[in-house]
Amino acid sequence: MARRAARPVLTSGRDLSSEGTTGSMAPDRGTFRNPYHVEAPPGAEGWESMYPKYLLFGPEMRHRDERKLWFFDQMHNPEPVYPFDLMMPESWLVSLNQYTTRVWNLPTALGIEQRIVNGYLYLSPNVIDDPAMIAEREPVFAERARHYFENWDDIYDNWVKKATDCIDRLKSIHFEPLAEREPAETVLSARGTTTAFDLLTRYSRLLENMHEMAYYHFEMLNLAYGAYLTFLEFCRSHFPAITDDLVARMVAGIEVILYRPDAELRRLAARAVDLGVGDAIKSPGEPAAVISELRRSPAGRQWLEELEQVKDPWFYYSTGAGYCHANRAWVDDLRPPFAALRDYVRRVERNEVLSRPLEKLRRDRERLSQGYRGLLDDHEAAAFDTLLALARQVFPFVENHNFYVEHWHHSIFFNKVRDLGAVIVAGGLLDREDDIFYLHRYEVYSLLYETEARWALGTATRGEVTWRELITRRRQIYAALEAWRPPAALGVPPDKVTEPITVTLFGINTDTINRWLAAEGRDSSDDEFRGLGASPGVAEGIARVVRHVDELSQLVDGEILVCPLTAPSWSIVFARIAAAVSDGGGIMSHAAIVSREYQLPAVVATGLGTEIVRTGDRLRVDGDTGVVTILARASDQAGQPAAAAADAAGTST
Amino acid sequence: MSASRARRDGLLRPQYVLATADCRAEDVGEVGGKAAGLGSLLRAGQRVPGSFVVTTAAYLEYARGRAAGPGGDASRPRQAPGEEVRRSIERSYAALGRQPGADIPVAVRSSATIEDSADASCAGQFMTFLGARGADEVTSKIEECWISACAPHLESYRSERGIDAAGQSVAVIVQELVDARVSGVMFTQHPRTADRSLVVIESSYGLGEAVVGGEVSPDLFEVNKITGQVTLRSLGSKATEHRLPAGGRLVQRRPVDAARQRAWSITDDELAALLAMATELEATLGWGLDVEWAIGTVESDGPGESLFALQVRPITAGPARRSRAAAPAGSGIDLILGRLSGHLPSGGAQ
Repeated sequence: MARRAARPVLTSGRDLSSEGTTGSMAPDRGTFRNPYHVEAPPGAEGWESMYPKYLLFGPEMRHRDERKLWFFDQMHNPEPVYPFDLMMPESWLVSLNQYTTRVWNLPTALGIEQRIVNGYLYLSPNVIDDPAMIAEREPVFAERARHYFENWDDIYDNWVKKATDCIDRLKSIHFEPLAEREPAETVLSARGTTTAFDLLTRYSRLLENMHEMAYYHFEMLNLAYGAYLTFLEFCRSHFPAITDDLVARMVAGIEVILYRPDAELRRLAARAVDLGVGDAIKSPGEPAAVISELRRSPAGRQWLEELEQVKDPWFYYSTGAGYCHANRAWVDDLRPPFAALRDYVRRVERNEVLSRPLEKLRRDRERLSQGYRGLLDDHEAAAFDTLLALARQVFPFVENHNFYVEHWHHSIFFNKVRDLGAVIVAGGLLDREDDIFYLHRYEVYSLLYETEARWALGTATRGEVTWRELITRRRQIYAALEAWRPPAALGVPPDKVTEPITVTLFGINTDTINRWLAAEGRDSSDDEFRGLGASPGVAEGIARVVRHVDELSQLVDGEILVCPLTAPSWSIVFARIAAAVSDGGGIMSHAAIVSREYQLPAVVATGLGTEIVRTGDRLRVDGDTGVVTILARASDQAGQPAAAAADAAGTST
Repeated sequence: MSASRARRDGLLRPQYVLATADCRAEDVGEVGGKAAGLGSLLRAGQRVPGSFVVTTAAYLEYARGRAAGPGGDASRPRQAPGEEVRRSIERSYAALGRQPGADIPVAVRSSATIEDSADASCAGQFMTFLGARGADEVTSKIEECWISACAPHLESYRSERGIDAAGQSVAVIVQELVDARVSGVMFTQHPRTADRSLVVIESSYGLGEAVVGGEVSPDLFEVNKITGQVTLRSLGSKATEHRLPAGGRLVQRRPVDAARQRAWSITDDELAALLAMATELEATLGWGLDVEWAIGTVESDGPGESLFALQVRPITAGPARRSRAAAPAGSGIDLILGRLSGHLPSGGAQ
């Protein structure tokens, strides 16, 4: 029998959000490492110069900042934030927090602060505990939020139009290298300004467009999470043992845009078999080679045409969370979708039904919700009904905004930045188009000015040396930061965490904090650790630690995926794994949603799973209790068949 | 008007033996709490070992006879039950065995009318004999239940109080003994948190006496009523079991070997059957039940095992009655706005 992990000893509560008081907190529950005592990793000295001062821990705010909790935003930025990519957190800082603080006037929350520590993004929620201030904000909030809830469906329909329009305008922003001579059109139309001027204006439009989408991102999210959380807490107060997973399954949508890319791959695989081109798709070559093989036959060309029709928008699907340019979308790197197509074609040929069992999912959803409803008294059931209906009403936004914002929009955005990088390379100031990501977006204004100036002068400039030196140094620093393992949290935990986004999306509650505190003192030789049981079931198997999407190809069928977090596009490997364990993530995180979809056990928010587990370890993952047990260490096992096979597979793909 | 009421009011002749299926909550004064519980199990369609109930009328008649005689205390030699009572018991016992002359083993238990009362000073009110065989032995065990339940009553009968013993009387249940391979207790909601979505099951080898008497720590399971998932399993020590030897009369206590101690006492299929029993019982009897159960054989029905319900009562212990969270008032939107304004639900998980 599995050794049962001790419950966190610091409080008896499962979650402060359902305790309501702070009386049960032990006064000496412990703290995390002081953020002011974190040292730069070797080789990364001077990393602070890559980031704006307002995102760094400075002496001016020390008395305040070192007494707060700062948690690592592993979900959105698992890697050190590239200076340009900092635009993503910087734009959500203003949009999300403006909605919280100034638009809705959430009575008990102010904005979530950000800090960069050794390149990694840390967050800290702020609560309002002054009763007078809460009372003052409450009526304003109630009136405004009620307007959205009462008109939710219309506002959401319109939201889709706004988001799509924003994406269309983003697509229309083009960056082209400055020509040797200004085009004659400028003269013939007596335009007055030049294409170099366009660079600046279009760059400004690009940044504005990103900020605009960030507002849409958070326009409805606070309220949607609030509706979900209210239902979740209602269920917990009546059924203390109910798991977050069960609540999610009562609410989750059946036909969700986030599953469309994967569904399209399944459909394309079936089409390939119909058209008789399954063999070509199964061939293990690079996508480019597969495509040129397909071009040789009419059926192959037909299939490729159908592939093209699917790409926009469904291949604008990031291999990451959508916050880092280095995670390319399928449309830019066909290897992940083609790997999945190979697998799907094989399954179609074995006569497996690949389409999602929608009817079964619907029945499951109704069986669960009616089952729990049936355990309530009449007046309780009435509250259950209305809260469930509202949670289901807001959920399409929760599930679908990811695709519109993080995948579709952000993937196009990063490609536009790359196009701009190519313009600067052509202008002679940088060597590689992705060098631009080592510069903050406001530094890029300087770079653009110099590009324009250099083009105007027609002579060599100092910048062609200094910018390159800067990029070279920053690449070294970045590599050093990548080798550093950020702790799950820093500073002093608060008495309570109730802010809806923090609780629902980041999965930060008292339990999480206690797990992290317990993990502080332990070493990586422990054979058991806990997370949040996000998808039920128990599985045993060989671990595959995957820190980066590039390593996914090493995964062998039946292994247990152990990762910092997963992105939706990783869902294509979920058909092949036995279970998933992620360091980060809440119950609404991607790994959790996809695992439930594939009916795999999943444990998320372990904080340190990738530190404790090594590839080849034999694990038991209990998705009900959230306990992960290392049954045997890789070195204890003779042969390690799965790991050995994995290495072989890794070299062949 | 119920039959018991009619009898109490003297409209019907007192009945000394009743079919358990006819024992209802309103008959507690005549048949005791346990018998009413057994009756509700039968009416809820559960498999219950065959039984009959010797009513308080039989006891009172017996007590009257004793009190009338000289001495009138528990140390007096026995006095036989009345002929009519004796014949009723013999007939009902014979019927339990199905086949003529089959002297099946039975449990003889007192079914107190003040069961679970905090001042149940008469320990004899909870008397149990396991494994009596034959009409004579059964009758004699019934008599022992009467004698032990108890001397203070007999004292009071000699006083001026007369026979006003409505709340102070005892019935006796005679029930075919299950040779239980495994048995235990089931709560149809969590006894501590009052979570109705959970069924909590304790199980150990042999008859339930080992669990009830605290001799063993049983295996513990929590099962989700809606998904059927076993959400908690905890292995008990189960060092001893009480079994009825084949063809034997008396239940014996014996050690459980190490391998069985380390094994689960029930399978997932058996957990599923218990879960189904919990759901069926709650559908008829309401929320929050405490059920005794056993899996084993009865002589009257051959060698095949069955799951038997042995007893049911509402969960009564203090914390189990912990009040459920009040349903919040207001529209769904109001509830959400309230939550986002920092009004957290009360009575949440603890």
